[in-house]
Amino acid sequence: MSQTFHEFVVHRSPALSRTAYLLTGDHQLAEDLLQSALARTYRHWRRIRDGDPEAYVRRAMYHQQVSWWRRRRFTERLEADPAPGRASHPDPSDATTLRMTLAAALRQLTPRQRAVVVLRFYEDLTEAQVAAALGCSVGTVKRHGHDALVRLRAVAPELVDRAPQRSAR
Amino acid sequence: MTTRLREMLHDTAAQVPAYQVEQRALATARRTRRRRATAVAAALVLVVFGGFVLPVTGTPPVDPAGSAGPGALPDRIGLPPLGSLHATDRPRTGPASVIFTGEAGRLTYDDECSLVTVVDGDTDTYRIVRSGWEMTAGTDVVLSPQGRWIAHDPQRGDPRVEIIDLVTGATRQLRSDVPGTVGTEPAGWSPDGESLVVRDSVPTHPDRSDHRRLLSLVRLNDGSSVRLAEAPSGTVPGVVVAFAPDGDRLAWQTGRVVTVARRDGSVIASFPLAPGTDLAGKGAWTPDGRWLSVARRDETGWTLRRIEPATGRDLGALGTAGVDDVVGIQLLGWTATGVPWVVSYLPHPPDSPDFTRPFPNDDRPEYGLIGSIEVLSLPPDGQPPTTLLTAPRQVVSIDIAEEVIRAGHTRVADPPRGVGGRFWIWTTVIVLAVSAIAAYRRREQLTLWWENRRVRRSGVAW
Repeated sequence: MSQTFHEFVVHRSPALSRTAYLLTGDHQLAEDLLQSALARTYRHWRRIRDGDPEAYVRRAMYHQQVSWWRRRRFTERLEADPAPGRASHPDPSDATTLRMTLAAALRQLTPRQRAVVVLRFYEDLTEAQVAAALGCSVGTVKRHGHDALVRLRAVAPELVDRAPQRSAR
Repeated sequence: MTTRLREMLHDTAAQVPAYQVEQRALATARRTRRRRATAVAAALVLVVFGGFVLPVTGTPPVDPAGSAGPGALPDRIGLPPLGSLHATDRPRTGPASVIFTGEAGRLTYDDECSLVTVVDGDTDTYRIVRSGWEMTAGTDVVLSPQGRWIAHDPQRGDPRVEIIDLVTGATRQLRSDVPGTVGTEPAGWSPDGESLVVRDSVPTHPDRSDHRRLLSLVRLNDGSSVRLAEAPSGTVPGVVVAFAPDGDRLAWQTGRVVTVARRDGSVIASFPLAPGTDLAGKGAWTPDGRWLSVARRDETGWTLRRIEPATGRDLGALGTAGVDDVVGIQLLGWTATGVPWVVSYLPHPPDSPDFTRPFPNDDRPEYGLIGSIEVLSLPPDGQPPTTLLTAPRQVVSIDIAEEVIRAGHTRVADPPRGVGGRFWIWTTVIVLAVSAIAAYRRREQLTLWWENRRVRRSGVAW
């Protein structure tokens, strides 16, 4: 039996909120992103309710996140925020500090790079699935994923490589 | 290498609360639906208004030319701009000074149908009228003496005459009462504009291989008609129709015979024309109504002569200069000072005029020989003709409102260029339609843009 839109939102809001936050790195923006995606989903609810509405919402968030007007907003934000690589190095043993480091490092990525990171390493999608979700080629996904890791390694090596010694080796 | 990154992503995500955005999302969705519906409705209104309401005919609250004078003859005419407004489109032009037809690309459509061009009485505003087939101004599409009405045959195979009121934009369909008619075309207006002479074609064989032609006078106020003449197969009655200035008598030419009759159809006289002469045109009656004028072709050109309307007796030349090196002339009318205005038909090609071929009865002049036209004033003292109006090549026929001729005024003209009003109307409609389609296909992005704009304006802190 088809669930109602309200039931869907109640059940899936926590997971969707987490994805929205990882995509934006900001609670206010994440709420905005999720709200827009849910509004779009509601307008097409009759058509998608018997399919996979959660996938629809996620795709809506990814597309909105990488669209040009949101890129502009992130560009503005990037210019306002200090680069974490130039900040003092946090203590890797402190989880809270690491989360802050992650948030700051993700802000150094382009929206599409960030979306690829979230889809690949949080949603655990394959590159082909990521390409399908973002509406681009697998090669593009590979390129964005590679560029994202290079940048993360540069600005926050502790996120990508657990120990500096391993990197040196 | 990315294990740490995965752990941190999940660890960070675990700290995120569930956002309570359901009600705001519903409100956003509903607002978007309302805006979309409003946009669609607005686009439809624009399309309907721009594409259909503006050109549609109707009666304006104010007569745009009710107090206008008789107008003036432009010293030159040009081809109507591509996409010109029709005579029934708003804004109305009021009475016209001139109508003309031709063979140029912008004067025809569907290969063989004419676009009759209407020139406003006082300005260089052009309108067009779509006729049902190839038309010649003054012969089968005629301008009323006041310049207010145009009579033409709007559709092939539909026996009716359409009368267009240039002041109100209203049209009137005048259907013939001739039994069995398959074609009705106008031939001339009475001086008061209250009656119209029409020609009907009635098949004499079931396969319509032959026709008899009838000439009738139709009173427009009550639709009653008077039969004037009937011509046998192969002859067109009233190829030239001329009303006397008082409007009580009229003369017409059928073959080589001129008939003079009263408006009730009673024939006053009927006589053959001398060889080489033709009834001069719709202005054949002299201003005093005593004589008829004929145009006679001699070795070099054409001259106007007077004949007696009761007998056809030649009374000698009018005293005006001859018009040389032209295919033919038609007398359109007289100024208040007694100067005849004629249209002269220039040969085509210009360097090889053919003045020896007689005009067929139903094609006078023979329009295939015409390259262009000029309107001339013929001073009565024999001075050389004065060119009043010139036209571009491939304009082959013209009709001028008699009141314009009577006023005798001309003006310096600057024919319109570029494109006409309908071009812009339809361009606007097409642009709106394409924009609407594009907006509909990209509606999701537009919606997101709008929402993003709204969020920015609401002052989200960065």
